[in-house]
Amino acid sequence: MTSRPAKQTFLFAFILVAALLIPASAAMAGVIAPESGGGTPNAEGIRSLYLLIFGIGCVVFFGVGGLLIYTLVRFRSRRGSVAVQAHGNTRLEVAWTVGAAMILVLISVVTFLKLDQIKNPPNSSADGLSTPMNVAFNTGPAKPALPPNGHSLNIDVNGQQYIWRYTYADTDTNNLNNVFAYEQMVVPTDTTVSLTIRAQDVQHSWWIPSLGGKFDAVPGYTNYTWFKITKPGTYNGQCAELCGRGHATMIASVKAVSPAEFKVWYAAQKLAITSAERQAAAARNALVAKDAAVLKAAAPSAAAPMAAPARPAPVAMADGKTLFVAGVPATGALACGSCHTLSAAGTNGAVGPNLDVVLKTWNAAMIREAILYPNKMIAKGYAANIMPANYGATLTKAQLDVLVKYVDDSVHGK
Amino acid sequence: MTTTTAETTTAAPEIVTGTAAPRPTGWLSWLTTTDHKRIGIMYLVASWMFLVLGGVEALLIRLQLAVPDNTLLSPQTYNALFTMHGTTMIFLFLMPMIAGIANYLVPLMIGARDMAFPKLNALSLWLFIAGGVVFYGSLLFSPAECGWTCYAPLSETAFSPTNGVDSWIFLIHLTGIASFIGALNLFVTITNMRAPGMSWSRIPLFVWTMLTQAILLIISLPVIAGAVTLLLTDRHFGTHFFDPSNGGSPLLWQHLFWFFGHPEVYILVLPGFGIISEILPVFSRKPIFGYKAIVAATLGIAVIGTLVWAHHMFTVPLPFFLLIFFMLGTYLVAIPTGVKIFNWIFTMWRGAIEFPVAMLYSVGFLATFLLGGITGIFLATFPVDWQLHDTYFVVAHFHYTIVGGAVFALMAGLYYWFPKMTGRMMNEKLGKISFGFTLGGFWITFLVQHSAGLSGMPRRVYEYADVNNLGLYNMISTIGSFILALGVLLTIINIVTSLKNGAKSGPDPWRGNTLEWFTPSPPPLNNFDVVPRVRSVEPMQDIRRQIERQDRVGDEAGVVARS
Repeated sequence: MTSRPAKQTFLFAFILVAALLIPASAAMAGVIAPESGGGTPNAEGIRSLYLLIFGIGCVVFFGVGGLLIYTLVRFRSRRGSVAVQAHGNTRLEVAWTVGAAMILVLISVVTFLKLDQIKNPPNSSADGLSTPMNVAFNTGPAKPALPPNGHSLNIDVNGQQYIWRYTYADTDTNNLNNVFAYEQMVVPTDTTVSLTIRAQDVQHSWWIPSLGGKFDAVPGYTNYTWFKITKPGTYNGQCAELCGRGHATMIASVKAVSPAEFKVWYAAQKLAITSAERQAAAARNALVAKDAAVLKAAAPSAAAPMAAPARPAPVAMADGKTLFVAGVPATGALACGSCHTLSAAGTNGAVGPNLDVVLKTWNAAMIREAILYPNKMIAKGYAANIMPANYGATLTKAQLDVLVKYVDDSVHGK
Repeated sequence: MTTTTAETTTAAPEIVTGTAAPRPTGWLSWLTTTDHKRIGIMYLVASWMFLVLGGVEALLIRLQLAVPDNTLLSPQTYNALFTMHGTTMIFLFLMPMIAGIANYLVPLMIGARDMAFPKLNALSLWLFIAGGVVFYGSLLFSPAECGWTCYAPLSETAFSPTNGVDSWIFLIHLTGIASFIGALNLFVTITNMRAPGMSWSRIPLFVWTMLTQAILLIISLPVIAGAVTLLLTDRHFGTHFFDPSNGGSPLLWQHLFWFFGHPEVYILVLPGFGIISEILPVFSRKPIFGYKAIVAATLGIAVIGTLVWAHHMFTVPLPFFLLIFFMLGTYLVAIPTGVKIFNWIFTMWRGAIEFPVAMLYSVGFLATFLLGGITGIFLATFPVDWQLHDTYFVVAHFHYTIVGGAVFALMAGLYYWFPKMTGRMMNEKLGKISFGFTLGGFWITFLVQHSAGLSGMPRRVYEYADVNNLGLYNMISTIGSFILALGVLLTIINIVTSLKNGAKSGPDPWRGNTLEWFTPSPPPLNNFDVVPRVRSVEPMQDIRRQIERQDRVGDEAGVVARS
């Protein structure tokens, strides 16, 4: 009596599962497996390893699930059914323990076999970009995985709330003159590209699904990955570690072009950056000149009523403010006031933080440290490398003492 | 009467009657109670209130994600919502609901009259409630937005300047102390207050899992308490433990957090395993298959599970040998888990299986947790995890393990023990409808999230572009979440109506195996007037058999059988 509806239910369930599975298998790859498509060996390796585990997982799921359903249907309580009072079976326990272990051994072995392809970058192809030996950005104790011949295009990936900055390695050791880009990274095809991944503020995670796994950008640490794209195209991804309110919009993309096109792009980018920097320098110098003119105009009028014989102003004392407002154009020490607001000096620059606010709790030693090593302590909301880091060379020790004392006294209202 | 063996003299079955003392009434008696049963019920009621809050948060999240580029919620609100959802479900729903069921049942199952430290037990409850109030108090200013993991440096003052993170820290402290005291209490109770004859091999499996869970809590809670204290001093007292610009380490936070966070997973699911191990034998009318294997697997999961925390950190810079170590360690967890699943299936094999709602949820647990366990192997393989980590695949995986492993088991336990706690049966018909919606809604919501993750959708994003079918997957998921919510709502309605209108259950409506079915429903204040001697894992079976035997002997001798 009860067996017929049960059979129908079973059949119905089977058809339902089949109906769900058929469109699933026909639909896009993203339904059951991670994306790939750039032709980079690591992403392909991960994908094939995934598919193997997926196959084993399906066997286990449908095997154990089938056993479960069979048990529930076959041994459901009926009139007169008697439960067999068995307490256990050591052989069965051993069997499924060993069985589970064997499956895991199989997965481990395959993982180790695939690991070389996923982890270690190959050499660039012959028609790829010929790259120099790596001048790495690396700072951490861990070393990046490099191709056997050591040649790769090294790009520094810097995660910041909420944008990615890419800095391309070049052959000199000065990292301030390098080609850089934001959000979209342009790379040559058939070339091994090694990435040095870092973060500036909070943790981010570098992830372009088609180009392999994700690697976290952890502040204070350096992470590494690589890819070698064979198919030109644009590959999209985004930050994969919660980094704040803009996390969802912190997107990234990699545009793979032929090595020839890449060279053109690189040169154009270099030119654009150099000319932009030149314009900025000109604007800065104009500001400095303007400030200096204002001071020159102001100074004599203040000194006029004295009518004393012209005497050089006491450099040591008077010039904390002058140093702040005008800098030392002769040595290239830019004026603090052109970028910073300081009410005592009457400056209202907005490029850098407002000193009246951020230095309120600082002492003289900290202020000196910040002038000499501006990137050590970055105020919230400002990026590193904006303030020149050359004051150790462009100011004399006496000038620095005066400047620090002046700033310290000014922000603390002395 | 002459006796040949000790057996016939000691355990003459006596159905106890709750005549000891009149039960105090009134709300003050609830506030001041140290009775483990009342504390258990208050834990359960409070945890279900938080379930409703966490559920509403989940539905808001799903509404925001229903369509691509949605602007229903601001990123700030969205981040606060998933932080509150995760934190609520783990610390304010699952942990206290487990504590409630354990509080109510462990003393009854081991034949004790209360917990070892009744006043500490009350302290645990009120600390947990204080933690919930402090955390939800942050709704009045600005809730934390750093996720339930609160990774530094995002959770430092520089990036989370409002006090939401502080209220999160105090929630961890308060509920952590509550759980720690509760774990000590359970440990002492189980090790010292068992009924005569209840040796280690006769302890009910639920009690075994609670003992193991208590040990895990005692090991892992001090670590998270220390971690959040360091975060608190970083935020307010000028230290730099997690601040990389001053020599601190963000990875230190992750190691400390996950040293707690991974055992936490087993803290949530082991009690579920215990509940299933109680319910399956009763409704299969068979003894549990492989009692010792299940106990060994429980302990094995706990030991290995404490040593695999860094599989949550496969994408941060870690030495290569650690990746290998944590991958293989995580694989090892699958072995005892597989052993358990086979033992559960073979408990039903050749049984006479009945399907009340408690059993349906148990079966739903098996199917759901099976898939959650299998996707765990994907994530344990670190190269594959590099693709899946922090995507919706992971979101799907942990909902399959935690909802499948803990919530469905707790729902089964609720339907199973409700008659014991209230003296009334829950409505089976409504329960079955509720089960259908809950299980179906769950699978619709979360199965498709695997695909969303594989198609490139990271977790914790408040909006996404409509590429790779993400719009379709998320719409399916949102529809499923409302079906799931309807299922839970029906169970809440079932609880409320059954309290008044449920059929009287009597002491032992299911023909159970363990000692809680020996007392009236609900049990009197002192639980047992007489504590029977325990001779097997299924003392109630022994007692029923002895009653039958004595009735038969009595009838044959022409003596009037006991009434």
